[in-house]
Amino acid sequence: MHITGWTVALAALGAIPAALAESRNVAWLWIIGVVALALLDVWMAPRTSRVGVRRQAPGAVRLSQSVRTTLDVANLGRRRVRGAVRDAWQPSAGAASTRHAFSLAPGEVQSFGTILRPTRRGDRQAGAVTVRTYGPLRLAGRQRSIEAPAHVRVLPEFASRRHLPSRLVQLREIDGRTAVRLKGAGSEFDSLREYVIGDDVRSIDWRGTARRGEVVVRTYRPERDRRVVIALDTARLSAARVGDAPRLDASIEATLLLGALASHAGDRVQATAFDRVERARAASSGPQLMAELADALATVEPSLLEPDWPALVRLVQSRVSQRSLVVLLTTVDTSAMDSGLIEAVAALQKRHQVLVGSVEDPELGAMLADRSDAEAAYGAGAAARAMLEREAAATRLRQLGAEVVLSLPDDLAPAVCDRYLALKAAGRL
Amino acid sequence: MSAATEFRTAPPPVGLRERAGRGKLGIVALILFVALVAALAIGARPGDYVALSTENSTPTGTRAVAQILRDHGVAVRQVDRLAQTRVADPAATTVVIAEPHLLTTGQLGSLVDYPGDLVLLGSSDESLEALGVPAREQIVGLPETAAAQCEDPDAIAAGSVRVDGWGLEALDDGSDLCFVQRGGLAAFARVDDGGRTVTVIASTALVTNDALAEHGHAALAVRALGRHPDVVWYVADGLDPSLLTWAGSGTDGEVPTEVEATPDFLPPGTGNAIYALALTALLAAFWQARRFGALVREPLPVVVRASEATRGRARLYRRARATGRAAASLRAAAALRMGRRIGVGRADGREALVSAVSRATGRTTSDIERLLYGPPPADDASLLTLISELDALESEVHRP
Repeated sequence: MHITGWTVALAALGAIPAALAESRNVAWLWIIGVVALALLDVWMAPRTSRVGVRRQAPGAVRLSQSVRTTLDVANLGRRRVRGAVRDAWQPSAGAASTRHAFSLAPGEVQSFGTILRPTRRGDRQAGAVTVRTYGPLRLAGRQRSIEAPAHVRVLPEFASRRHLPSRLVQLREIDGRTAVRLKGAGSEFDSLREYVIGDDVRSIDWRGTARRGEVVVRTYRPERDRRVVIALDTARLSAARVGDAPRLDASIEATLLLGALASHAGDRVQATAFDRVERARAASSGPQLMAELADALATVEPSLLEPDWPALVRLVQSRVSQRSLVVLLTTVDTSAMDSGLIEAVAALQKRHQVLVGSVEDPELGAMLADRSDAEAAYGAGAAARAMLEREAAATRLRQLGAEVVLSLPDDLAPAVCDRYLALKAAGRL
Repeated sequence: MSAATEFRTAPPPVGLRERAGRGKLGIVALILFVALVAALAIGARPGDYVALSTENSTPTGTRAVAQILRDHGVAVRQVDRLAQTRVADPAATTVVIAEPHLLTTGQLGSLVDYPGDLVLLGSSDESLEALGVPAREQIVGLPETAAAQCEDPDAIAAGSVRVDGWGLEALDDGSDLCFVQRGGLAAFARVDDGGRTVTVIASTALVTNDALAEHGHAALAVRALGRHPDVVWYVADGLDPSLLTWAGSGTDGEVPTEVEATPDFLPPGTGNAIYALALTALLAAFWQARRFGALVREPLPVVVRASEATRGRARLYRRARATGRAAASLRAAAALRMGRRIGVGRADGREALVSAVSRATGRTTSDIERLLYGPPPADDASLLTLISELDALESEVHRP
């Protein structure tokens, strides 16, 4: 049961007779009368089991966008029902207004929209739907909660997609589709076509010209159908916050941007999220890739475990048989020396090209540059030590032949893509 | 399947019998039973710990003397409020007042008007003066056992008592005082106040359960208190303002205590209106406290800043005053950055870097040697100086 503000207002009116009669007994009698009326109202209120609710939530929404979920309320009884519903959602689902008043004739159904603006990635769950019905006096009523499970999958924001057009232009420059046509490493013979003025005379294919009787040129295109394996480290270091988000979020952005770019470039992309076991996987080809990637990575959360690098090496070896680009999105710091990352990179580098992407902490840079007092000087010393250790680990990885990208969280995705394009242009995939 | 069947509805409410079947009701009943038993057990414990109370069996109480009096056929009746005394026959009743320093002026006045015998356990200057005892109370500095040293038959029968705690100092010749110790303080006084007797036992310890069996305490107490077949016993507590009552006192002993709650400048009934509004506030609390459905749980992620480890290391450096370590890191980092800028790798060695930096900045090699590879700074101040010098050198190298 519940009471409304009208009950309180009616009880407050009891001050007048109490003052006129100058008696506390009158005040008590009045309040008891009001409570009795409220109880009567509860008894007369329609039963909550006469109200049915139905939730409809859309499948997925991108983080930072809003979505409308609907809640249908039906009167299943034979009396008119007045009341209110609360469409409860998790706080991070960002529900704007969750309470809706209704007045339903028998058999009537009313739909209410709750706008969600999620603030966190992952599956956002709905709570129970709470139904209140009011009695005929509007003083009180019944209240029950009804379990109506629903969830909205919140996909990663993919804020770095603004970098995609410029990278696609670079890709076309490597590709034969733009005016710049270069043959050499990283490109393969595509086709012969008729010479047009402006083509480089060096690209004329004389044998074909002799055979066809007209001047033809060779065209080249970047290598296609290469394999790209992106492995996200979801172990304990990915849980640390850099800026406002965990390191993992920067890795997810980089995965999405690289996935989009590489699939445009005609490469076969597969992604895996990994700590000790595989947490998520996406390996479609073609246009479904991006949807699958976003869906698979939406629910990935950092786990407080040490990564099992040898298991990752075995996983990658079992997934791809030919030479591929293996992108490890992890954290390069002094712990990489003994966590097994170096050995894993060495093992992978034997058959594949490894690209290690790591998120740098802008706070470290701020500490390194802080000169305010002696305390800051020690901070700068500690930050310099951390930087040197990371450099040492990165140098060790580079000596193994791996590419290393150390970037601030917002720059990781474009930096990884630039390195991918450079590798592609150099024919090292 | 119609659309209506897809709707979810609340399950029928759980009845009392089902709840009992689930054991919840049994648990509630058990808790209530235990609470009831506990309340009874606590309520049955002897709760009277008031000093000098006849119900108090602890060392500070007077239950022993009351029982001895009852054994001698004296009816001892203790009252909580002075108005409850209602002495039927003052001539055949002894009124015992314990802790008289807590009596109000009005109560003292009623004692003065009372025609029967009075015994004070304890004393105060006000009560002694009002009841005409020519003495003043003093703290006993030298507790000792004293002989009667007076003509009072009760005192002589008792022989000697211990003067302790509080005593009486004579204001006149001291003929009414008994058991005077060496400091001149008496334990006992008795004056005849025209038709009635006022007895003061200033050293109250001698009537308590603790000390009743010592010396002549029991004899003195029983003789002083048991002169009449009725004893009315009152322990003053300072909270009860009512007056002593007896047959013919012409009053019920009640003193008007309630102050009028409504001052004159407010209309009548304001207090009752506020009372009604206070009751309303209870309803308002229920109105607001009833939650519209349960809260939804939010599983929160771990929040650890990535720089925590580095900050911890900085605090360790500072606590250990590790200027050498901090300076070495900063020097190595500066050398790494400058080497990258001017194309000298780590593998090229110290001399190559020093000479390259020297060429880039125009400084002497010894100066650069000192800055990059010199002795570690000794304290915070030289660390700060070194850092600023390194910054200056680096900015010269990075200058285009």
